[in-house]
Amino acid sequence: MTFRLSRRTVLKGAGALVALPTLEAMLNSHGTAYAEGGAFPQRLLTWFFGNGVVLPMWTPSATGANYAFSPALSPLQNVKDYVNVVSGCNVKTPDLRGHHNGCGAMMSGYPFIPIPANGANYASKFGGPSIDQVAAGIIGTTTTFPSLQLAVSKRATTGEGPTLQYISHKGPDAPLPPEMNPAKLYQKLFGNFVEPSNPTDPRDALRLNVLDAVKDDANRLIKRLGAADRQRLDQHLTAISELRQQISALPPPVTSACAAPKTPVTQTNQDQGGAEPMEAVHRAFADLIALAWACDLTRVVSVQFSGSVADTAYPMIGIPDNEHDLSHDPSRKDDINRCVTFCVQNFAYLCERLKATPEGPGNLLDNSVLMMTTDVAEGWVHSIQDYPVVIAGRGGGVLKYPGIHYRSPNGRNTSDILLTVLRAAGTGVSSVGGAEGLSTTVISELMA
Amino acid sequence: MRQNHLRAEAGRTALAILAGVGLVLSGCTGRIGDDGSAGSEFPTEPPPGVDPYSPEVEPPPFHPAPLRMRRLLGWQYQNAIHDLLGAAAASAITVPADAAVNGFDAIGASQLAISPQAVEQFEAASYAAVEAGLADPVRHQALVPCTPSAPDDAGCLATVVRTFGHRAWRRPLTDEEVQTYVSVGQMAGAAYGVFDKGVEFALAGLLQSPNFLYLPEVGEPDPENPSRLRLTSLEMGARLAFFLTGTLPDDELLAAAESGALTSADAVRAQALRLVDKPEARDALNRFFDEAFRLRELDKVAKDPETFPEFTPALAKSMQQETRLLIDDVVWDRDADFRDVFDATYTFVDLALAQLYGIDGAPGSGFGRVELDPNGLRGGFLGHAAFLSLMAHPRTTSPTHRGKFILERLLCANVPAPPPNVNTSLEDASTETMTMRERLTAHVANPSCASCHKMVDSIGFGFENFDAIGQLQFTDKGKPVDASATFGDHGSFTGALQLGRMLRDDPRVPSCLVRNLFRMASGHVDTYGEVAPLKAAEQSFIANGYRLKSLLVELAASDAFRFASAQEVQP
Repeated sequence: MTFRLSRRTVLKGAGALVALPTLEAMLNSHGTAYAEGGAFPQRLLTWFFGNGVVLPMWTPSATGANYAFSPALSPLQNVKDYVNVVSGCNVKTPDLRGHHNGCGAMMSGYPFIPIPANGANYASKFGGPSIDQVAAGIIGTTTTFPSLQLAVSKRATTGEGPTLQYISHKGPDAPLPPEMNPAKLYQKLFGNFVEPSNPTDPRDALRLNVLDAVKDDANRLIKRLGAADRQRLDQHLTAISELRQQISALPPPVTSACAAPKTPVTQTNQDQGGAEPMEAVHRAFADLIALAWACDLTRVVSVQFSGSVADTAYPMIGIPDNEHDLSHDPSRKDDINRCVTFCVQNFAYLCERLKATPEGPGNLLDNSVLMMTTDVAEGWVHSIQDYPVVIAGRGGGVLKYPGIHYRSPNGRNTSDILLTVLRAAGTGVSSVGGAEGLSTTVISELMA
Repeated sequence: MRQNHLRAEAGRTALAILAGVGLVLSGCTGRIGDDGSAGSEFPTEPPPGVDPYSPEVEPPPFHPAPLRMRRLLGWQYQNAIHDLLGAAAASAITVPADAAVNGFDAIGASQLAISPQAVEQFEAASYAAVEAGLADPVRHQALVPCTPSAPDDAGCLATVVRTFGHRAWRRPLTDEEVQTYVSVGQMAGAAYGVFDKGVEFALAGLLQSPNFLYLPEVGEPDPENPSRLRLTSLEMGARLAFFLTGTLPDDELLAAAESGALTSADAVRAQALRLVDKPEARDALNRFFDEAFRLRELDKVAKDPETFPEFTPALAKSMQQETRLLIDDVVWDRDADFRDVFDATYTFVDLALAQLYGIDGAPGSGFGRVELDPNGLRGGFLGHAAFLSLMAHPRTTSPTHRGKFILERLLCANVPAPPPNVNTSLEDASTETMTMRERLTAHVANPSCASCHKMVDSIGFGFENFDAIGQLQFTDKGKPVDASATFGDHGSFTGALQLGRMLRDDPRVPSCLVRNLFRMASGHVDTYGEVAPLKAAEQSFIANGYRLKSLLVELAASDAFRFASAQEVQP
């Protein structure tokens, strides 16, 4: 694979050949930040694992600067300066349902919406966009991919609706299913930039032409539909636009950090001997995230390591029980904490990978913000107080460095954390979430 | 009996309330209209504590549910590609994953917006499928019945687009629509200097159109009751085809749809009778049970290899096959009483399953029917390793999951969601030496958890003689297993077979089956306004000896499936 080929040439060639008048307009200049000599792009990543922690083993005992890590957080030692631990905050959205409330509140700041069951399975959906999608709408508009959604464990629960199954949502009826296979993510990110055997192949220009026809078609249909269907078809049209942007994207400028992997990524997420290859999958994802950020293919990512109420098991560390069942057995707090520590270890690998990727005078972790959290504080009580949250990265200099342990003295709104994270991603938003979850206040203690 | 008595009492209450015309019901969002016509407001839920499906309760007048455009499910899309472009095409594509709402993909497909990832996957699939289809000379001949005079021959392209589009979109295309895709094809044909390239891009476009990917339904005023909508004949044709055969309408159905006939219940019934005898109907019903009984999740079920070294992907497949074979036997081979699925004293096993169950009689290869002990613990679907493994943990059983499945999936009972913040000051007693029953019983000592856990666990305990992969077990943590359980007013039971016999006599079982089938077929959770026609379908199911094929036909012809109301106006 090589990036040498300029996609602009191909599309121009095809454009001339088939005379597509709209073609030029789509060729947005990619990587303007570099071209204009501006600041490096800021990025945001949310990282989720299911079913809570054991708070006494999670929360560092000291607060402020120079705090020592707790056992669960100790894997983050190599990036400690980049870590801000947040504790003592409470979810403020109405506590109507275990797991569901934390998912909605921690990923979006909105109360979840229960979907009437009427004798079917109970279910719920998000009340508003998740913060990664808020960010994607602001800092993700010029990149090839507005955002990426990834999941490591395949065993997310599918029976309780979008709230528990997915962590990224464009809105209440628009969850974004994740990619779970690193080999496919590799294809998605870099498959477009392989040098074609025939550089004058008009294929991509013609694909754009087909998408235009489909849009015309959808616009004819949309007029006949009711309001709810109209809204869904609108979202279909938006997705077509995003696909156009992908097809017409230029290859990224090659830098020392942005170079195609020497060999294609072949890691899949197939079980091996009854176990999910979680560590290998996550490593492959982490490497690709670092590359995608270095190449500025996207600036927003969500990673669901394990899901809420998931059947994910951890035989690789000697705990074959499923995470959700285990989290309801408070007599096994040590085992629960070992699973949590395993999750943190994986998150730490991602942070280290970003730190090891240079960007200008610093590294990717300098220019990004990562939020790690879960769906309940402690699983066996479904609690939503004293929520466990870790923020990693300097957010382009916005966040406190070296990091501190900030503990809210009065149980402040967890959405304040979300707003802080969104600000550190350079979104400039002044509020996040809605209803009881609304926040207009950043946590000033975490700001540089 | 006691249960029926309670239901009767509830029923009388409901009747008394419903008799009060125009009475405002507390807890309901609307008002009962004078004549049940649209325009008035309808109660959206029954009076508290009333099960409108109870035989003794008079349902409210029929009020159809709003239309909702449904995206084809992944397997339906794949079937349609198979019909249009052949087996090679169907196996050349990857379809986006479906997302369930209220436990059904079809409900997700009518509520959720398509994701950008799915649009991307459908795009890739459309090219892969068309390429594979055109590569077959016989199929190529059928797809391109004309001889092009130039790489961008508009006339020949129009024939190709019109013919293919007609099947794919389940209706004739307008001239404008044809022109859109002819232009696409002309541009591609010219760019490559090859007519077939034009065909490829034009057909790939038709397959990416919302007219193919969704079932767009707008209905038309019902001439007999203009306040409601009926599905148009064309819309009905597509609905019927995807419900009963999981794919596009065949030629005969499409012709009936285009003749305008499918606005009558009799014509729909006639087509449905024909369709359920097609082989595709078996596959479509398999898909329903794969989802409703969660059989498709067997390939991602996690078991601890140390505890259960015998649990392999191959064994999981055998488990799924056993249940499919029993359903096939009851529904298709014998066209028998569907309730046999719950209390059959025979099953279908291969050698691996026979060994798991500790029984003889499996054939040397493949599956064969074996008789079970009519006084034993195992019998019916709930004694299948599929159910017992799915509703269990990696090492241990789960009376909670087993009970919840029975209440939710087989009885359509509302199982409450997990409680918020549980305040517990209970000692964290070690569970190491506790049996599963002891562990759950301790859990129930906590009042926040008690009500729901009692509701589900009291049923699930009856399966404690089956371990996490469905083998018989008589000890747990070294102690004798206590598998005594109670099933509401039916009384006490032990084991799958005894519960299966109780389910045979429970009137909630047939009504729940009707409702679940309707949920998949219609893409929404059945509403209070739809109880009347669904109960009518259930009545005919019962009158027809609980034969599922007859139910499929009656559901298709049901008012609930043929009528709709306009989509709610959203702000």
